[in-house]
Amino acid sequence: MIRPAVRPLAASLVFVAGALAGAGSAWAQEPAPERRLSALAPVNLAEARPAAPFNLTGNWFIDNRGNQGWLFNRTYPTLTPAAQVHFDAFQAAAAEGKVYRDDIGQCWPPGVPIIMTRVWPVAMIQLPTAVYMISGFMNSLRTVFLDGRSHTDPDLVVRTFNGESIGHWEGDTLVVDTRNFIDSEHRWVDQGVPGSGELRIIERIRMIDDGQALEIAYTMTDPVNWVGEWTGTRRWNRVDDIDIEEVECLPDLNDHLQSMSSKVHVR
Amino acid sequence: MRKSVSGLVWVLVFLVIAPAFAHHSPAAFDRTKRVTIEGTVKEFRWQNPHTWIEVNVPDEKGGTVLWGVELTSPTYLIRAGWKSNTIKAGDKVTVVVNPVRTGEPAGIFVSLTLADGRVLTERPARLGTPESK
Repeated sequence: MIRPAVRPLAASLVFVAGALAGAGSAWAQEPAPERRLSALAPVNLAEARPAAPFNLTGNWFIDNRGNQGWLFNRTYPTLTPAAQVHFDAFQAAAAEGKVYRDDIGQCWPPGVPIIMTRVWPVAMIQLPTAVYMISGFMNSLRTVFLDGRSHTDPDLVVRTFNGESIGHWEGDTLVVDTRNFIDSEHRWVDQGVPGSGELRIIERIRMIDDGQALEIAYTMTDPVNWVGEWTGTRRWNRVDDIDIEEVECLPDLNDHLQSMSSKVHVR
Repeated sequence: MRKSVSGLVWVLVFLVIAPAFAHHSPAAFDRTKRVTIEGTVKEFRWQNPHTWIEVNVPDEKGGTVLWGVELTSPTYLIRAGWKSNTIKAGDKVTVVVNPVRTGEPAGIFVSLTLADGRVLTERPARLGTPESK
């Protein structure tokens, strides 16, 4: 029996205990989403699938000859006002012999598509379930899933600089749909042209020249930064006398690259 | 050819060379100019993404100015005959660079002459093309 003097305290304790129990059920986690099979799971790899039209396993290097050089595409779309601010600033800096927002030089990831056009090759390893791409720059990883999965639930996806790539075959073409890019002020599609979380890139990849080159036709949309589609086609040449090495953007790299701390940079 | 104040830094003007987009933008450098520096290697780092050389260059006041020279990756230097021990701290070198536009003692590598007269350059980043062979 609870003594009268203790009843209010006991009642309070009961109330608190009840409140905690109720709160605990409100805090109960939602069921975890169903996990999908890894592209490297033996069961996934062993699943019967039509043979791929081609295998792009190898090292590929952007063909920087001609007037495109290292740039993704010299023909720009109509930029939105927000993006035009950056492009105008880039051009103004260039006119003064300065460099606008060289974030890659500060070790921010280049992201797709720029990561595909660096001074180092991209190693590609094709399995029935995925193509793994490892850039020679920062060893940036890009995975193109071919196992029929869909893009990750927007509420679950971890947005990245390289985005999430899902591919499928259409005849002799690998069609890659990349979305879920990170929304970051350090994310650029080209010099002076930012890329937002709304960026979406469709790549149509063909193997040409008797397996010695890849031709990739790009269609990019980003309503935050430009109007309509931004298209272009570039070529990558096969490189058989090189292997990807470890390439890290170390914290002290720029301590010894004096140009990176010079007044030439507009941050 | 114009002799600069230091006497050991000579400036030449050349045509623009198409830049390579590596770890950082090459637009920081004036590709229409070449500067020649003569000095002693302080450090040579053979690494990715950039190999670099720091050179102590004598100035007019009897001291030295530390110049930073940026090179490409060993991937490409090897194709031009470089090794990780091609130069070392204490070596006397003459280096030609395209200088950084804002006048700091820094530049991107064009060529290097060793004390024995050998000249080293880079190979262009043209992997997968005949020029890279």
